[in-house]
Amino acid sequence: MPKKDFEEVKKEIKKLVSEITEVPQAQLKEDARFSEDLGVDSMMALEIVASIEKKYRVVIPEEKLPTIRSLQNVYELLEGIMK
Amino acid sequence: MEPVWDINKIQEVLPQRYPFLFIDSVLEINGKEKKATCVKNVSIDDYFFTGHFPGNPVMPGVIIIEAMAQASIVLFAALKPHLAAKHPNYYLGKVEAKFKKPVRPGDRLILEVSAEKMLDNAGIVRARALVNEETVAEARITFGVKAK
Repeated sequence: MPKKDFEEVKKEIKKLVSEITEVPQAQLKEDARFSEDLGVDSMMALEIVASIEKKYRVVIPEEKLPTIRSLQNVYELLEGIMK
Repeated sequence: MEPVWDINKIQEVLPQRYPFLFIDSVLEINGKEKKATCVKNVSIDDYFFTGHFPGNPVMPGVIIIEAMAQASIVLFAALKPHLAAKHPNYYLGKVEAKFKKPVRPGDRLILEVSAEKMLDNAGIVRARALVNEETVAEARITFGVKAK
């Protein structure tokens, strides 16, 4: 996937995460920790994963889930999967 | 259609009991498509009709959701039998639901559930409730599973 397109994907993911977590996009910093800084619980995390899988038609393996601790982690994981 | 699970098997999996067990039988389990179909025969003897409402028995929407959630446990147990065998606690996380038609005594409530995502410790399930092949309610249910 070209770099420019993935920038677009990042924007979409940020919007999606913002909607599920109800954290405004402006506060959703890439390195903010989901659980500690943003109050994201495990149910929200599951919804984020399910929404990304549906939107981009990818499968995020269950064993990868504990590695998702911030928006930056989501980007990295998805970029790896979409390659 | 012959049930694939009888009430004994259902009670092995579901922790709920009378008057709060809302699955009478399981008609179909499709592991490949991650789907299950369950039945609740709605009876005037169901406890909630005493007050909901006198002279106008309507099955409460929250009880329809509970029946869908119990069908979701059945699906979890069908897909992950080794985990369900340990009798974990099941927690409802989030529900988005729509109700289309009232459900009344005598109705055979069919509960169709399909997994949007099923993990070892949580899941998202899409559920549909039907009476006479007509959709009466729909929901998207997120739940957690935790070992005791």
